[in-house]
Amino acid sequence: MCPVAPNTRTILICSGKGGVGKTTLTANLGIALASQGVSTVVLDADFGLRNLDLLLGLENRIVYTAQEVLEGNCRLDQALVKHKQQPNLSLLPAGNPRMLEWLKPNDMQKIVGMLQDQFDYVLIDCPAGVEDGFKNAVSASKEAIVITTPEVSAVRDADRVIGLLNTNGIKPVQLVLNRVRPKMIESQEMLSVDDVTDILALPLLGLVLEDEQVIISTNRGEPLTLSGTKSPAARCYSNIAKRLQGENIPLIDPAKEGGGLRDRFLRLMQTKII
Amino acid sequence: MSQHHQTIILPPAGLADWNSVMKKLISEAAPGSTDLDCGDSQLGVKELQKIINSIQKSGLSIERITSSVPETIVSAKALGHQSNLVFRRTYKANQAEVPSTSPTNTKRLKSNLLFHSYTLRSGDDLTTEGDLLLYGDVNPGARISAGGDVMIWGTLRGVAHAGKNGDESAKIIALQLRPVQLRIAQIIARGPKEKPLPGLAEQARLVAGQIIIEPAETRFNRN
Ligand SMILES: Nc1ncnc2c1ncn2[C@@H]1O[C@H](COP(=O)(O)OP(=O)(O)OP(=O)(O)O)[C@@H](O)[C@H]1O
Ligand SMILES: [Mg+2]
Repeated sequence: MCPVAPNTRTILICSGKGGVGKTTLTANLGIALASQGVSTVVLDADFGLRNLDLLLGLENRIVYTAQEVLEGNCRLDQALVKHKQQPNLSLLPAGNPRMLEWLKPNDMQKIVGMLQDQFDYVLIDCPAGVEDGFKNAVSASKEAIVITTPEVSAVRDADRVIGLLNTNGIKPVQLVLNRVRPKMIESQEMLSVDDVTDILALPLLGLVLEDEQVIISTNRGEPLTLSGTKSPAARCYSNIAKRLQGENIPLIDPAKEGGGLRDRFLRLMQTKII
Repeated sequence: MSQHHQTIILPPAGLADWNSVMKKLISEAAPGSTDLDCGDSQLGVKELQKIINSIQKSGLSIERITSSVPETIVSAKALGHQSNLVFRRTYKANQAEVPSTSPTNTKRLKSNLLFHSYTLRSGDDLTTEGDLLLYGDVNPGARISAGGDVMIWGTLRGVAHAGKNGDESAKIIALQLRPVQLRIAQIIARGPKEKPLPGLAEQARLVAGQIIIEPAETRFNRN
């Protein structure tokens, strides 16, 4: 029994297209939220290709998984893996890939329901695609963060996912634009932030810059937001966490990051004259 | 629809004893398959799923879902059901005659214009037999088609088909026309490479078997 109605925010992190940065965002956002003092659990809903545990460096501490919890073979708190350096963050590991065959939206709702009793934030790392794994994850979520890169195919898939989230009554749906490269935007080799938001028409929760530190930290199993580096992407992730909590942090301006100040200035001048 | 087909018509959304009316409809249906007509109820996936479940629980299978509300059709498609958008002349009875020099225009406006306010996202597919006025965008990967004109108060970035049943006088009009592909009647054309100038509404129509793009006309008369 839970006397308090849970005000837990249950957020699905999804993209449609694979490999655009869902798991990286889930791990870094989890650490960032936890270090800002809210109890957070990350749930790996990607049963087919689980790797949230790897990114958080928790792989070797997993004993039970969501599967054993559902089957009644262990308690929830036995399956939850608490992060050593950031005890406000826990991981509920996914079961083996065969879970995909029998897991139903009901099972997902049951698990998330249990987590909502204990945590302020439940972040769900969604599998790529829009098939059963996605549908299961959606059925247990209240809000969503759609992550995409500034590439035509990723934006197309994100758009499809947003349509499905809308018809499923998920609200609010916010956007994170990942792997932004200011230089490429400036030289018009990449979709600009406006190009993407024009099509997707979602509130922009944040930009994440392309940053090789992300790859290094992934291999170490130590999310960037944990190590306290001042790397560009780490700053972006922690800003996203703050905005999620309602803080009013201005968006970074890719033009400033890339040194394209003069162009901006020129545009301002022109609007003044008109 | 063939003769042995039956249709369950959803009671209107606001009905006080909606549940019991629905139960009665289901219990009165003949065993086998049925169509489901959702009328003008706007249903999300969850709501529609509930209704479908209650029908299937009684042993009926659902052949096709129809509705005059695109959101409901999108939900039905998301649930993997065959579905069709149908236009209803809901307000015809109490609508005053619209004065016009051409009686055909009046008829077209009164009976055939579907207004739809909602951006079509990748994978969405909106189609109607008459003219279609969309207040929203058509995104890449989405399709919009109509038996008559397709008018988009927004940006067309996907695929549009006007005159899908062969009407060669049909037009496609958008505030921003940058389609992947345009179709009018049987003619198919790829969208132009150049981006249009902002603020200039454009239209596409058939001239001598070719689709041309030009500034939009302000008169919608067709003869
Ligand atoms: N901002 C970034 N800068 C540089 N590399 C990044 C960035 N974000 C993600 N990556 C890299 O992109 C790859 C894919 O990231 P990730 O695994 O998070 O994607 P995903 O969406 O979870 O993929 P999947 O669909 O397979 O689950 C990883 O190698 C990751 O290090
Ligand atoms: Mg992943």
